[in-house]
Amino acid sequence: MECPDLTALATMIPDARTPLHYRLPPVPVLLSAVVLIVCAEVGGASMVRFKLELTRWARNAMLARPAVHGLVGVRDVDERVLDEALVKFDAGLRLFHLHAEGMGLVILATTTVAATLASSPAPRRSIIALLTVGGAGYPLGYLLWSGLIPYHGLERGKTIAEWLVWIPFGGATIVALWWLAGLLALRLCRH
Amino acid sequence: MSPLAALGLFLVAATPALAHHVGAYVPKDNAITANFKQIKFSVQAGKFDVAHRLFETGALRTDMSARAASLPPRLEAGLRDALQSRDGGEVERRLMVFFAALARDLALEAERRLADLTLSRDARTAIGQRFLEAIWRYYNLVDFAVAQRDDKTSVAVRLAFDEAEGYVKSSPIPNPDKLREPLRRIAQVLSALIDSSLPARRSS
Repeated sequence: MECPDLTALATMIPDARTPLHYRLPPVPVLLSAVVLIVCAEVGGASMVRFKLELTRWARNAMLARPAVHGLVGVRDVDERVLDEALVKFDAGLRLFHLHAEGMGLVILATTTVAATLASSPAPRRSIIALLTVGGAGYPLGYLLWSGLIPYHGLERGKTIAEWLVWIPFGGATIVALWWLAGLLALRLCRH
Repeated sequence: MSPLAALGLFLVAATPALAHHVGAYVPKDNAITANFKQIKFSVQAGKFDVAHRLFETGALRTDMSARAASLPPRLEAGLRDALQSRDGGEVERRLMVFFAALARDLALEAERRLADLTLSRDARTAIGQRFLEAIWRYYNLVDFAVAQRDDKTSVAVRLAFDEAEGYVKSSPIPNPDKLREPLRRIAQVLSALIDSSLPARRSS
């Protein structure tokens, strides 16, 4: 395969093009992202350190509410129900750790792009606010879900977490990302 | 942009928020089924000393002792003898009887629970579904051994099980009232299998 001529490619870049200077997002936004990442790390470490205690607590809480979990008092039947709930309880904690780490970085990256490339102040502020609130709130849904499982069961716990956290905060992040993508597309078209 | 269009765009954009990841659950072996597999694979590999040790120290023997009253006489002692005499066929037969007895007891208990009409229809459906899962977890381990010895029993259990599952899963409206009949059939068929599998030992 023939290599492209790099010199020819370089001449295609307009000389007048101004270099892009990244602008930092506001300090509270940076602080939110950092706090979120710290929470993720503390959560991950606690999950490992107190795994046994957490599992024991969740199991006892579930055994104290047989009707919520559909326990029938037969070991061969109940053990699977408890096992599934405990696996999901643990998965919720893991997903909180994972999403809090990831969303912290997503907040940093996307708000930096918004602060740099969204030129109108009102949309820029809205996008940054939505990305920060949505990104910081969304991972907490997993923590909430885990905490609700022993008291309300898998499905009801999930429904509560969905309507209280995942849908509003996740929706805010997704809308802000589409909005930002739209603004960038518009900017590209104009240039 | 009109408010309606903006709302539409918002809803379309936010729809993926409904598809959050919550992990998947893969049912694991319990202590008894895991111990069964260890013993079975050791026997298949001809390592009877290992199988004997796993039997003596495992959850299967503990459970077998605890349920001795509802099991055929000398089931445990006979299994121990078979392991010591390196009789793979007899080991398999006795394990088959044990798991058939576990499944039968669960079917009888499920049938009894479903007769409680003070429970709501949904509660009985959920109970039936959970008992069926537990029955299948045990019976599935020995279905091949059952089919090799008595294919009619194997087919009868599976047909009854499919019918029972239909009443709690596939039907548009679950019908836990009808579930008792296939459960009763499963218990009857497995009782007959247990009785016919250890005739000589029962009389001893």
